[in-house]
Amino acid sequence: MARTLLCEIVTPERIVYTNEVEMVIAPTVEGEVGILPLHVPLVTVLKAGELRVRYNDGKDVEWFAVSGGYMQVHEDKVIILAENAAVASQIDVERARQARDLYAQRMAELKEQSAAQAECDACEIDLRWFEAQVKVAETRS
Amino acid sequence: MANLRDIKQRITSVSNTRQITRTMEMVATAKIKKAQERIESARPYALAMVEVLGNVARFVQGASHPLLEEHDERKRVVVVTVTSDRGMCGAFNSNILRLTEEIISRESGAGVQTDVIAVGKKALSYLRYRGIEPIGAYRDISDKPTFADARSIAGQIIPGYSEGSIDAAYVVFNRFKNVAEQKAEVYQLLPIESRVMEAAEDDLRITPEYVFEPTAEAVLERLLPTYVETLIFRGLMESAASEQGARRTAMKSATDNAGEMITTLTRSYNRARQAAITNEIAEIVGGAAALEES
Repeated sequence: MARTLLCEIVTPERIVYTNEVEMVIAPTVEGEVGILPLHVPLVTVLKAGELRVRYNDGKDVEWFAVSGGYMQVHEDKVIILAENAAVASQIDVERARQARDLYAQRMAELKEQSAAQAECDACEIDLRWFEAQVKVAETRS
Repeated sequence: MANLRDIKQRITSVSNTRQITRTMEMVATAKIKKAQERIESARPYALAMVEVLGNVARFVQGASHPLLEEHDERKRVVVVTVTSDRGMCGAFNSNILRLTEEIISRESGAGVQTDVIAVGKKALSYLRYRGIEPIGAYRDISDKPTFADARSIAGQIIPGYSEGSIDAAYVVFNRFKNVAEQKAEVYQLLPIESRVMEAAEDDLRITPEYVFEPTAEAVLERLLPTYVETLIFRGLMESAASEQGARRTAMKSATDNAGEMITTLTRSYNRARQAAITNEIAEIVGGAAALEES
């Protein structure tokens, strides 16, 4: 049995996932990083995208869509603090697509009206989250 | 003598009311449990958040960030008032509104402009009635607040604070002490109190050398707004649980009072009935006596 990491994905509303895994691949603002056991302590900022974990001797992979957040790695424990996170198999693609289109439209409208920066940012966060969900659901389930 | 039919009608109406209040009490009891579970399930995030914040704080010592800095002048403060959408929960809302009012009069006494963000229909209607127009209004979220709601509220405060148009922000909400007890509390959102950062530092016994990506400052910059959002989210959730607790207590005493009222009413009903019967007998006896005499 290979050495493992404890991976926890938590959102403000609940714990989405906890498991002993062998590798965590997360989308950080500077690109994807893979975390293996014995990684140096790390704190990093995540962007919306696809997160995956490998376990069971690399035979099984679980995919998640995450919105932006943070990841802390410390002593073989990976904590992912995401505002939103969903298991790929549980994403409702149709709904996510609709929401994405809705937010994309709203984003365009906001840009046209040159709305306040805060409003654009809030809209963009939601847009990226649904985009991530659609992408993960389409490719991974 | 009270009319028999009137008393009977009152008994019926009081027991109907009792049925409603008893149902509300039971619904509230069920909802408390759910709301409590939601607070519980938010705890891991909050704890991990404080841990990460502590790590970052230790690394960027004497960190300066707009959200940490106290403004020299106090010109404008924002109060987030968290109430419920529905009534029937005793002093739940009035405690919060009284506390809000106190802050407003204290701040305006010192010449500080005070703006309110109202959460819950009760706050909204009360403030409008008092001629205070809230700068933000959130309805229909008090039952089941989401993190997106908290983010949206924070979005109205944080940019203002960084720009300098807001000098302090507070949240007023009912803290859920236990099922039977709520306490109206004020919590400072901004500036983020330095003791939060220090406490977070103290919590760490082991001090590994962390690598930060992209940089510790960049992480801190993203982390602090999220911290404020988490605080607001917690306030919203505590308030949701407290609301159900307060409603349960209020409805329980209403049910008890209705029961007492029914007992007294039944008693006077029986007395009236007996008096009527006695009266009738007296009339019959009187009538019979009159017949015999003739």
